[in-house]
Amino acid sequence: MTVTFPQKGLPWLLLLPQLLITAIFFLWPAEQALEQAFYQEDAFGLSREFIGLENFADLFSNPLYYQSILTTLVFSFSVAIVGMSVALLLAVMADRVIRGKLAYQTLLIWPYAVAPALAGVLWWILFDPSMGPIALWLKSAGVDWNHYLDGSQAMILVVIASTWKQISYNFLFFLAGLQAVPRSLIEAAAIDGASPFKRFWTIVFPLLSPTTFFLLVVNLVYAFFETFGVIDATTKGGPGQSTTTLVYKVFDDGFVGLDLGGSAAQSVVLMGIVGLMTVIQFRFIERKVQYS
Amino acid sequence: MTDVILEKVGKTYPNGYHAIPSVDLSIEEGEFIVLVGPSGCGKSTLLRMVAGLESISTGELRIRGERMNEKEPADRDIAMVFQNYALYPHMTVYDNMAYGLKNRGMAKDLIAEKVSDVAAMLGLTELLQRKPRQLSGGQRQRVAMGRAMVRDPKVFLFDEPLSNLDAKLRVQMRVEIRQLQRKLGTTTLYVTHDQVEAMTLADRLVVLNKGKAEQIGTPMDLYNKPATPFVAAFIGSPSMNLLDAHLTEQGITVSDELTLPLSHPHRGAIVWGIRPEHLDVSDEHNADFALRIQAVESLGAETLIHGKVETTSGQGDAMVVRLSGPHLPDINSLMWLKAPAQYWHLFDAVTQQRL
Repeated sequence: MTVTFPQKGLPWLLLLPQLLITAIFFLWPAEQALEQAFYQEDAFGLSREFIGLENFADLFSNPLYYQSILTTLVFSFSVAIVGMSVALLLAVMADRVIRGKLAYQTLLIWPYAVAPALAGVLWWILFDPSMGPIALWLKSAGVDWNHYLDGSQAMILVVIASTWKQISYNFLFFLAGLQAVPRSLIEAAAIDGASPFKRFWTIVFPLLSPTTFFLLVVNLVYAFFETFGVIDATTKGGPGQSTTTLVYKVFDDGFVGLDLGGSAAQSVVLMGIVGLMTVIQFRFIERKVQYS
Repeated sequence: MTDVILEKVGKTYPNGYHAIPSVDLSIEEGEFIVLVGPSGCGKSTLLRMVAGLESISTGELRIRGERMNEKEPADRDIAMVFQNYALYPHMTVYDNMAYGLKNRGMAKDLIAEKVSDVAAMLGLTELLQRKPRQLSGGQRQRVAMGRAMVRDPKVFLFDEPLSNLDAKLRVQMRVEIRQLQRKLGTTTLYVTHDQVEAMTLADRLVVLNKGKAEQIGTPMDLYNKPATPFVAAFIGSPSMNLLDAHLTEQGITVSDELTLPLSHPHRGAIVWGIRPEHLDVSDEHNADFALRIQAVESLGAETLIHGKVETTSGQGDAMVVRLSGPHLPDINSLMWLKAPAQYWHLFDAVTQQRL
């Protein structure tokens, strides 16, 4: 069914606010970044020079950039896999709770409402080598925790801080997915002699696959593009480059290193990645699974 | 040999709801037992208690002499066909049928042999590599049965397996289920709310009402000698005419003024019943009473006539008469009827028991 408007202008008028916001806050900056990527600007922003693809050439010949890509991949997949595993475990347990179900589920969903930077600060305090309770506890357990010096520990910290928030989101989807699995299938499997563990892995988990795939994409996108706040509040990309993800590097090179052209070139690369991920999301997530 | 015994089996939910007070039933080996009753009567609960999907609150369940109350569903050696079939949607027909055997650690080639035997018996050979969503309702139903049969269990449990099928397919599957069960000789417990399905399938019927077994017996026992007005109304279609009446020295008084002569020791309020098919058309002189016709349903092979017992007050009870063949009496005309005494059913109005 299509709804038509009597006047041709009205639909455009109604769309205008959204179009304006998109144009001013998304399209214009994107166009600026794209343009900037082909220029070299002086440190004071007074003059610039067209240099073609030189920014890109520099970027792809810089070993630090490849290092950052690797860091991003390690970081993103860690966030996605840890976040989804914990969320699935919590969802399976929440699905079995009978008393106080709603309170339990609500509490698990709350962290999602915490702002990224705040979540970062929270974990930064907990893990602070000189006063953080977790860091002190780790020290007493014989682990020398100092994420200011140890790159792997810094990575673990940003992964934990970024994952924590996301667990709530994943939990919500997994719980909904679990509740959509018909009881009778589980009962049939029980009669068919499958242990609870086997029932989960051979019946429930395969039926959750659309949810799992959807969450994988969403979590990767989140870890790629939305974890700037967490990283900035905890490690600022350090020590060295050990937690500098691609997005953090755009900020670091552009606003700290003042290489606006190089930073813009990186943004263009990121735009390409976003586009690709969007295509994947639309292409595969529409896959439907029938439950009966 | 007695195969399945339910001894004072009862179910109370944690919230205190008494779903099933106490049911006694002993099932012979190879017998086809149908649990039938209106929705909410506890028939599915009872079946699920036998399956081990619901706990048994009181009493004992024994299969081949062994207490089953605490056993897991998998250890009871039963197979169940669910109302919505409960086929695993991500597995092929073959894998659906093989799943239970794999879980029991059967050798691969033996599984293949068993599955293909059962598939051949049910006409599923061509469909083994399909997914459930690629099958029609009737085919899914067959796969669900195949999955139960392939395990060769001691007891089959069916939970309204035909209610999702269209009327024609339901009749066909009904016949098939009965034939297969005879061939396999597996003890079967079958739940349905459809009294026709119950009558045609059962060796013995259990009529459940509010969690209580109102009567247990063969379909003909229940048809000829219903123990309570509930069973009388539930078994047979259209259902029995049941009228509030009084038993006195003169006989049975119906609709306050009409008396049917009978000598019976009981006195007081009773329920008088006669099946629509047992009322005969008569004439003014020989008839027991007259019916004022209100509606006629012609079905070709039979005609159902709805009317009210004709009384001076005009407040007579409603009755249905079933005549074979086509009839077209006028609405509002009188029909003279004879109610042969051998077809009467008398129930105590208070205890609801057959007199």
